[in-house]
Amino acid sequence: MTSNNRRCVVSGLGVICAVGNNVEETWNNALNSVSGIHKTTSLDTKNCYADLAAEVNCDTLDEIECPDEKDRASKLCIKAMKEALNDAGLGDFADSSRVSVIIGSCVGGVLSIEKYHRGGRDANEIPKMPIAAIASQVAESCHAGGIVTNVGNACAAGTISIALACDLIRAGKADVVIAGGSDSFASVPYSGFLSLHALDENGCSPFNHCNGITLGEGAGIVIVESLEHAEKRNAKRYCEVLGAGVTSDAHHITAPREDGICLLEAMERAVRNSGIKKSDIGYLNAHGTGTGKNDNAEINAFLKFFGDENPTLSVSSTKVMTGHCLGAAGAIEAVFSIKALTTNTVLPTLNYSAEDSEALKAKVGNMDYVQNKPRSKELECVMSNNVAFGGTNASIVFSKKPGDVQSQVAKDKKIAVTGIGIVSPIGNSKEVYLESVKNGKLPESASVHATVTNDDYKELGIKMAFYRKLDNLGQLQTVSGMRALKDANFTVTEDNAKQIGIIVGTSEGGLGATYDFQELITEEGNAGGSAFKFPHTVYNAAGGYLSILSGIKGYGVTITTGPLSGLDSIGYSMNVIHDGQEDAMMATGTDENLPIITELCQKLNVAADKVVEPYSDSKGFVVGEGSVSVILETEDYAKARGAKVYCYALGYGNGRKNVKFGHISGSGEALDIAINDALKDAGVSIDEIDAVCGFANGFKKLDDIEKAAYARVFGDKLANLPLFQVKERVGEGRAATATLAAAEAALMLGGELDSENAYFIANDGSVSKKTVATSGFKKILVTSFATGGSYSAVVLGK
Amino acid sequence: MANEEMKSKLKAFFMSDLGVDGDVLNYDTPLFGEEIGLDSVDSLEIISFVDDNFGVSMTGVAKENFQSIDTIAAFIEKNKA
Repeated sequence: MTSNNRRCVVSGLGVICAVGNNVEETWNNALNSVSGIHKTTSLDTKNCYADLAAEVNCDTLDEIECPDEKDRASKLCIKAMKEALNDAGLGDFADSSRVSVIIGSCVGGVLSIEKYHRGGRDANEIPKMPIAAIASQVAESCHAGGIVTNVGNACAAGTISIALACDLIRAGKADVVIAGGSDSFASVPYSGFLSLHALDENGCSPFNHCNGITLGEGAGIVIVESLEHAEKRNAKRYCEVLGAGVTSDAHHITAPREDGICLLEAMERAVRNSGIKKSDIGYLNAHGTGTGKNDNAEINAFLKFFGDENPTLSVSSTKVMTGHCLGAAGAIEAVFSIKALTTNTVLPTLNYSAEDSEALKAKVGNMDYVQNKPRSKELECVMSNNVAFGGTNASIVFSKKPGDVQSQVAKDKKIAVTGIGIVSPIGNSKEVYLESVKNGKLPESASVHATVTNDDYKELGIKMAFYRKLDNLGQLQTVSGMRALKDANFTVTEDNAKQIGIIVGTSEGGLGATYDFQELITEEGNAGGSAFKFPHTVYNAAGGYLSILSGIKGYGVTITTGPLSGLDSIGYSMNVIHDGQEDAMMATGTDENLPIITELCQKLNVAADKVVEPYSDSKGFVVGEGSVSVILETEDYAKARGAKVYCYALGYGNGRKNVKFGHISGSGEALDIAINDALKDAGVSIDEIDAVCGFANGFKKLDDIEKAAYARVFGDKLANLPLFQVKERVGEGRAATATLAAAEAALMLGGELDSENAYFIANDGSVSKKTVATSGFKKILVTSFATGGSYSAVVLGK
Repeated sequence: MANEEMKSKLKAFFMSDLGVDGDVLNYDTPLFGEEIGLDSVDSLEIISFVDDNFGVSMTGVAKENFQSIDTIAAFIEKNKA
């Protein structure tokens, strides 16, 4: 049985979608087989072949603090969050570091992007655009002070958020996690799915007519709590959250694998990690989008997976009620699944005629695809599945019993850093980057780019048939990822493809591509979207392309929480390895500098007008881009394949003091917390730290926070502590530079960067520079930040 | 529109909108083969481009018409009003 300290329970639920503005209303409508799909009233449908959507109808979304500062996606999420907290009997958390927020989204603040584009380029819209705003604003609304993460895995993001919530609790990093997903209905996804001919003009009909999806919108929140914390406060307990499985198809950027084998693997992992039998699952809330490709892949995967062991499993898709709510889908469907479990009710897929039922039976045999009306059924465990663009598969199990959950089974394993891939404005490979550092190369202007060329593709054996599909972000990501694998001498084969996973960290992800898509459809109308460009708007496309190119089929998650995502990709990867999910992980940070990104920085008055260096008390920073990938693997795995080891990842930590998203001032003490948390996790004392790879970029507000925190944490030691700042050479590349800081630390510890320019902060706060030798370093601290008041730290050591 | 001009326009579209390297794209190069690697998403873009620029609908048209720039041009030629 799952040990008590690994048990995660659900103590609160919140939802808003087309069939209800709260859980009670939504559930009652589901029991009455109500569909929320109607002709859309909010978007222009001129020349569009499909005009249906499942929209939220709620006039109280603005009844929150500062509604003008929030996108609809945040508003939906905060509404669901408030209901869930109220349901759980929880309130304001006073910046408690034990309370975390993990929210999934696909298109995030896309309505604000549209508003910015159509409405005079108002700078006030900018902070509402990135997905990162959502979790940050949820945390800000209830003062959650733990790790705050956004998941950007498109339509599987909601499910992954709940899985990550449990991972954090089981790793001892949180007591309560507000987990879920949110997305709003908007022109970009509507036009995008139209261009793919993936909308059903008659409304989605999962497992039935399968002519396409119908888009919805909404948010779902699940309060996941450690059993201990829930018991202590005598909390309501809906159910347990058992294991989850996340895998990558390595197949196609929009279409699922027809054989469904990676979805099958996700279910396999979910069941195995839960410590249950397949036959314990009584109901499966399928992804069931209504496209032929998805539904057939699922039908085949369910038959193959459950087959003789659980032939009468009940299956349905609730998307005929809610529409496809993209990044919110998994969260809303988790709420449905939990209500189904706790009330012993299986929900139906709607709109089956007698003829349809016969046709379905021919496809699915005895498996119980529940149709039209809900039914009573005694349930022990339920499963909820979601799949996404980029080839992500996610499966999670909710249960009345504790199961036998496997987590932190590899906690004692040392994690080695064995490969580094760098794509930066001063070089597209580790070797060229090192050469540039040696030559003291600096940014050439206040807005710099990392240009991938055909030579990179040629060297890496990437064919034109593949690279022609990539947008800029995908180019940066695939080249850095393949370089990291090459550097690690890691060949992905059929045998090991599931033993390695990817976590991509990105601050803006597909925001630039989303803006470009919006620009296109503003010009051409919603009927004029591009099927070729649409996939680039999802934040996990870059990671998806890397999985397709490399063949990596294991864990695959994209986190998008601001610059620190490039460091959290390492922290979360460590957790995946410690959980025994994978033997190896690629942790990466990737962000791009399209013209719109520089424009947004300029509008926000954070872009420098000339090249600036760290600690120069400037009014802005150099805008950069790039992608840096790091291979992490257990020491045993590295040894077995004879890999060279740069260093070890010893620990990671996070801190948060809530300030408004888009701001940082006043949050500095959270950096102290992140550093101390990482040191504790690594079992390292402050005196053992030989150097810091930090995040200063020249922008005074940011650099002052860093300086002040180091002064508090390191005290007298600071004056002689070398601080390395990669942004002096490559600009502010957000997640890319966060991972680059870690890569530099690894290069120093691994003996490949024997001297580097260091900054020293004197007792009076003045800063000096000198070149220092790095060969004596044994342990290096790496730090990063995100607006809204989040900080992360990682300790790397020899 | 002369056939050659049509083909040249199609080639320019493959290069600018579908990222194909012009150096390896001849009028008879198989578009859905290993070298160019077009897929179902790209065929949606082709259909949309041909409709917008030549007023010919290729929706639901047999696969062999999409084989190369030559076959697409031939289809357009045959079906234009």
